[in-house]
Amino acid sequence: MFSGPPSPRSSLLLALLFSPVLLADDLFVDSEALPQILTATRLKQSPAEVPGSMTVLDSELIAASGARDISELLRLVPGMMVGNISGNQAAVNYHGTNATEARRMQVLIDGRSVYRAGLATVDWSDIPVAMEDIERIEVFRGPNTVSYGANALMAVVNIITRNPADTHGTRLKLTRGQRGINDFYASQSNGWNGGDLRLSLSGQEDDGFDSDRTGADYRDSRRLNRFSLAVSQTLSDNQSLDWQINAKDGANQRPYTYRPVFSGITAAGNNSDVVAKDYAGSVRWNLDLNPDHSLYVQGSAQHWDRQQTWRACDAEVSFSPQLTELWQLNPNYTERLARNMTLFTGPGAPAGTPQEMALANQVLDQWRNGARQTLCGDIDQSARESRYDLELQDTLSLSDSLRLVSGLNYRYDRADSETYFNGTLDDTTWRAFGQLEWRASEHWLLQGGAMFEDTQLIGSSLTPRFAVNYLFNPRHSLRAVYSEAIRSPDMFENNVNWSYQVTNLRPAAYGQSSARYFVKTRGPGDLDQEHMRSRELGYNGFFPEWGLALDVKLFYDEITGMISEPLRNNQYIASNANDSRFRGTETQLDWRLSAADRLRLTYAFVDAEASNPLDQQFTARNSGSAGWLRDWGHGWNSALFYYGDNALNGYRFERVDTRIAKRIALGKAQLQLAGVLQQRLDHEPTTFVDNNYDERRVVYFSAELEF
Amino acid sequence: MRYAMSRKMPTLGQWLAGLCLFLTAWLHGVAVQAADILLTGAEESPGVQSFVQALSELRPTDRVHFQPLASLPAPGKLPSSLRLILLDLPSLDWRMQESQGPATLVLRISRLQARQRFGDAQPPHLSLLWADPPLSRQLQLIRRILPQAGRVGVLFDQHSEFLLKELQSAAQPLNLQIVPQRWDNTHDSRPLQTVLKNSDVLLGLDDPDLYNPKTAKNLLLSSYSRQLALVGPNVAFVRAGSLASTYSDQNDWLAVLDELLDRPPATWPRTLYPGRFKVSSNAQVARSLGIEPMNEASVAAELAEGERRP
Repeated sequence: MFSGPPSPRSSLLLALLFSPVLLADDLFVDSEALPQILTATRLKQSPAEVPGSMTVLDSELIAASGARDISELLRLVPGMMVGNISGNQAAVNYHGTNATEARRMQVLIDGRSVYRAGLATVDWSDIPVAMEDIERIEVFRGPNTVSYGANALMAVVNIITRNPADTHGTRLKLTRGQRGINDFYASQSNGWNGGDLRLSLSGQEDDGFDSDRTGADYRDSRRLNRFSLAVSQTLSDNQSLDWQINAKDGANQRPYTYRPVFSGITAAGNNSDVVAKDYAGSVRWNLDLNPDHSLYVQGSAQHWDRQQTWRACDAEVSFSPQLTELWQLNPNYTERLARNMTLFTGPGAPAGTPQEMALANQVLDQWRNGARQTLCGDIDQSARESRYDLELQDTLSLSDSLRLVSGLNYRYDRADSETYFNGTLDDTTWRAFGQLEWRASEHWLLQGGAMFEDTQLIGSSLTPRFAVNYLFNPRHSLRAVYSEAIRSPDMFENNVNWSYQVTNLRPAAYGQSSARYFVKTRGPGDLDQEHMRSRELGYNGFFPEWGLALDVKLFYDEITGMISEPLRNNQYIASNANDSRFRGTETQLDWRLSAADRLRLTYAFVDAEASNPLDQQFTARNSGSAGWLRDWGHGWNSALFYYGDNALNGYRFERVDTRIAKRIALGKAQLQLAGVLQQRLDHEPTTFVDNNYDERRVVYFSAELEF
Repeated sequence: MRYAMSRKMPTLGQWLAGLCLFLTAWLHGVAVQAADILLTGAEESPGVQSFVQALSELRPTDRVHFQPLASLPAPGKLPSSLRLILLDLPSLDWRMQESQGPATLVLRISRLQARQRFGDAQPPHLSLLWADPPLSRQLQLIRRILPQAGRVGVLFDQHSEFLLKELQSAAQPLNLQIVPQRWDNTHDSRPLQTVLKNSDVLLGLDDPDLYNPKTAKNLLLSSYSRQLALVGPNVAFVRAGSLASTYSDQNDWLAVLDELLDRPPATWPRTLYPGRFKVSSNAQVARSLGIEPMNEASVAAELAEGERRP
């Protein structure tokens, strides 16, 4: 039939389809300009891309565990050795090393390091953050000085609190139970155009362990109150400010442990309780220069106040200047003399150098002339530590496949203690760090970084880290990581000037009501850093069709130059002479079986070998946890957990925890009632022989109202 | 005298050929009747200008022109043979003054905006061409790029509540569960937290009360911190941080209009979602969430195929 010339319509349409459309002129697209919010610098790495092993304890898990302490929560992390020194002192170490001073792990709250400035331990009970304010805890299992500085020798625990924008409303919670458990929590959070705020008050109380090795009451209960104010403000489109103030005040009972050196002394004090106050404030300013470049500056100030005064009784001769001089000459000789004074009263000073014997005889003279009388006085073992920290961190996305994270950090630590430092000691640390992420191809991810640190008291060091991740696809990867880390000896280990000034002496010692005890300990002053080399091979995978996340790693860690000598005021000769090796495997499995069930399993096999047996004791060869969480519907949910390790400091630990909770809607408010039962399956003390419970089971209930 | 016989009587064949020629010319003329297409809007922005230009190039036989709204008389005074295309809401309000008037296509109107003006009624003489992506298409997109997601969280307020029923029925054959959550006060983020806790993915409805530059930061950061993707509500959000969305750009709309303008106005549907669309995704967000990067063109083609053959 008749057909006209080819219509110019179709060819024009084709031309239009293939011509680049200028979105700015496109009437139908992008009529309102939205800024880029999830920028390259804000997007975090997916689990398969992390250059190491990461455990995330999310808020569902934290609530289901029923834990009242952060240290208890860490049982859910494979490879974490959690124990107790006493009821109010937890001891947490990753893989192990010396039980009483867990100082090889970095613990942060919102990026602020909380290990003490002078003594480098973490007082888990005294951290000024309430469990109910925690959003999640991210544990990096392995050295990470590159990102978190020295002291991140073996692991990093980063406690991230809830954003005030996510907690609007009022929340009240009460917990009561056996063992004197009496906790409360109250918070109020509001938002306005441009910011959000949360004020929370909390408190905890419990009796700790019940009896010591002799069956007598164990004095280790605690009582504490916390205050926290967190504010986050949007200053402009690309700037925001987050700041918080935290305070904690409380008392931790401590048993009286002083045993008189000299014989025949029966008077004694009855406690060495500590009043512990923690104060912290931090401000963080975030700036997004452009979608590819953002930075933050964080400043924080913290203060640890530990007031500990206890009554000590011993013979007057303890304050003898001659005895003090003798101790400086030869502590071993002096100790032998002191502990067996009555044996030498007759025959005279024990064998030794002429100088030693002369002094010893003078001391024995004093003893015979009445210096054997009992004196009692007060010892002030208080310490006040402060830390001021300023950090700048910059994240720059150089291209779609190259990202650089770098930063600078300045820290000032100060410790003030009559007993430990005979005054004040301070230290300044400068740190520069950088890490580069390079997506070499769709499957290969290379990451490398280093940290340079310079400490006034110790010196400088450089620690590198290299990691290669092979991504089968965005969800499955194999990784190989080599990292080095250092730990600077803390002020106590290196520079302790430990002596007891006893005041209010009655009767007076050589005419003085205040005198110095004869035992003095000085730190070597020339300790070097501990050095860690860690090698890791791991696999991380997420199977979305099963809802299964799996992480497995094999590790081989060596620590050299270890300072293993226990910190005690008697013959403390610290050195870098020890080393240890940890190797083994860790697994972590998180499986959402169905919409209602979640299964979580962790297991760690750690083989520890250390030149100093003390460093080996706090490693359980086999440890792990198993948890089953289920949502039964109609507001009921339950959780069942099992924790076990075969030997921590020689004692086995096995416990089953269960929590049953019911959510009830009361109009606009919500009430949640929960009951937790913890049942020990073993009959052993917890980590140390004095940590015993009368009953293996404890039950506590909580009621929480949200509106 | 033989030359006098030059004028012959046409043969039957020639008659038929002539008739055919006449008929086709006439039909062609009917089909390619030079239509008068008037586009109007409150202001003539560069976007409007390029669109009008493109449309007139697409339909050379028609008279395509733009007149600003202020210069137009009442709709009843316009010739009924005119094809009217409205480009924004003020022009719609003007058109609604009178029920008589030329056949009208309404562009750049969302479901919410229509509901606020017309309620449940469907005004005659108007064809509403929806600007927001069809709910079933967005759900299909979720099915395709997040096969493991079962619960789809949806925030709504009193303006978008009416869409829920439609959403539920679109979700059912796809084996998706809609988790609705009312969010009346966007300063209070508790409903947002609640819906994020109970869903596997968040689907954004085109409700500017809930999804706007002020709420975008809170929405995207909160959902991302829980490793949840946001799909939709529109392509502008994809650049900000949404995982993906379907959308129709100028070329798609031109094709849709072209097809409609070829038909008599009596056959125009009262409401229409564009059959032509594209998929936009945020590759960096996908990567960070551990999702395979998607080929936008092929996903769009698969979705389109699915719509042709339900």
